[in-house]
Amino acid sequence: MSDGYTRVCSLSDVPDEGALGVEVGGTPVAVVRSEGEIYAISDICSHAEVNLSEGEVEEGTIECWLHGSCFDLGSGKPINPPATQPVATYAVQIDGDDVLVSLDTQSSKG
Amino acid sequence: MASPNLGIREHSHGGDVPISRLDVHGSFESANFPVPNGREEEWRFTPLRRLRGLHQGREIADGTVTVEVSGPEQAVVERVGREDSRLGASFLPNDRVSALAWESFTDFNPATVVTVPKDTELSETVFVKVTGTEQGDAFGHILVRAEPHSSATVVLEYAGSAVYADNVEFVVEDGASLTVISLQDWDSDAVQVSHQYATVGRDARFRSFVVTLGGDLVRLSPSVRYKGTGGDAELHGLYFTGAAQHHEHRSLIDHNESNTRSRVEYKGALSGEDAHAVWIGDVIIGEGTSGTDSYEHNRNLVLTDGTRVDSVPNLEIFTGEVEGAGHASASGRLDDIHLFYLQSRGIPPAEARRLVIRGFFQDLIGRIEVPELRDRIMDEVEEKLALHE
Repeated sequence: MSDGYTRVCSLSDVPDEGALGVEVGGTPVAVVRSEGEIYAISDICSHAEVNLSEGEVEEGTIECWLHGSCFDLGSGKPINPPATQPVATYAVQIDGDDVLVSLDTQSSKG
Repeated sequence: MASPNLGIREHSHGGDVPISRLDVHGSFESANFPVPNGREEEWRFTPLRRLRGLHQGREIADGTVTVEVSGPEQAVVERVGREDSRLGASFLPNDRVSALAWESFTDFNPATVVTVPKDTELSETVFVKVTGTEQGDAFGHILVRAEPHSSATVVLEYAGSAVYADNVEFVVEDGASLTVISLQDWDSDAVQVSHQYATVGRDARFRSFVVTLGGDLVRLSPSVRYKGTGGDAELHGLYFTGAAQHHEHRSLIDHNESNTRSRVEYKGALSGEDAHAVWIGDVIIGEGTSGTDSYEHNRNLVLTDGTRVDSVPNLEIFTGEVEGAGHASASGRLDDIHLFYLQSRGIPPAEARRLVIRGFFQDLIGRIEVPELRDRIMDEVEEKLALHE
C-alpha cells in the first residue's frame, strides 16, 4: 500500500477487452484491460456525466457509449469529438492477483 | 382557462419522447419519481455525484440549518407544521428532490410562513436568513403570502454550509406586489437544490432577483403560474460561477391565463477551471389563452478558459393569439472592441476589463431596491473577479 497504492480488485475481475468501474476514496476509476495490458483512468467522461467503464474497449481505447468519444487508455486523450478534454489516468501495479491503483501518480504509459 | 398547464393531467402530447414540459407530472410523494440517473432531460446537466445523495433520499438527517426572520411588525411570521393547510396549496413538486424536501422538512425545522396582510404596504424589507450550521443533509420549507393589494420586499438569504433542499412558495394574491431577492451566498462546500414556486393573482406583480455566488453546487428552479388575468412576473438572475462551481438555474413560466406578462433575464459570468453554469428557460403559452406578452433571455460572459456554459431557452406555444413571445441566449467573452475603446481613452487594460464586467451586471444590480444588498453583491462580484486577474 506504499506510494498511495490501493487494492481495487483482483485481476480476474477485469474482463478481457473490457472494464470494471471502482471507487478509490470517492473517486470513480475505470480499471480497463486491453490487449493484455491493465490501465486505470477516470471513470467519468470529460464531456458528459457518463461512466466510461460501461463502454466498449478496443485496441487500447475505451468508447463512451453515450456520445461516442473514444479515449486513449494510456494518455487519457480523446481521439474523436464531442469530448475535447483528456480524462485523468492513474498508475497501476499488479501484485499477484491484486490490482492496485494510485491516484497520486499519473500513468506514464502512452 | 383557470387550471395550471402543469402537473395535473395525463400525457396530452402523446408520442414516445416526452419533450414537452406539459408531460412532466407532479406529486408530493417522492416514490412517484424514479431516482435520476443523469440521462433524463431535466437532470442531464447536473453532476449527480456532487449532489451527495440529495436526489436519492437516503433518509439521513445529519445537517443543521437555522432560519431567522426579521422585518417590520406588520408582517406576520409563523412557524407551522406540515398539517397547516396553507402549506403546499400553491404547488405540486415537479421533481424527486422537491418531493423529498416536502416529505422531510419537518425533521429539521417547522415551515416558516411570512404573511403580508391585505392592503398593507410594508415600510421595511423582510429578511429571511437560512444558515447551514452543520454540514449534512437538511430540508426546509418557506411560504411567503402577499394578501390582496399588499406590497412587500422579501430577502431570502442562504449562507453557511449544508446539503440542502427546500421548497419556497410565493403566493401573490390579487392586486398585490411582491419583490423577492434570493441570495445564494453559501460556503464553498455547500450543495443546494431549491424550488421557488410563485403563484401570481389577478393584476398582481411578482419580481424575483436570484443572485447565486457561493456553494459547490446550486440548482435553483424558479417557476411562475398565474391565477388570474393581468398578472405580471419578472425573473432576474445574476450568477458568478468560479472555479469548480456548478450553478444551475431552471426558470419556468406557465402562461395558463390570458393577458399575462413575463420577463426572464439571467446574466452570468464564469471564471476559473471547471466553472460550469447552466440556464434552462421554459415558457409555456397555454391553449386557449390570448394576449400573453413574454420574453426570456440569458447572457453569459466567459472570462477564462476551462469554463463551460449550457444555455437552453425553450418556448412552447399552444395558441395563435399571442401579444409577444421571444427567447434569446448568448455566451461569449469580453468584446475586444469595448476594451480597445476604453484603452484608447487612457484606461489601463485591467481597469477596462473591470469596467465592462461591472457594466454587464450593473443594470441588473441597479434594479434591486435594497441599497445595502446592492453594494454587497457588487463587492462580492469584484472579489471573485480579483481571483482571476
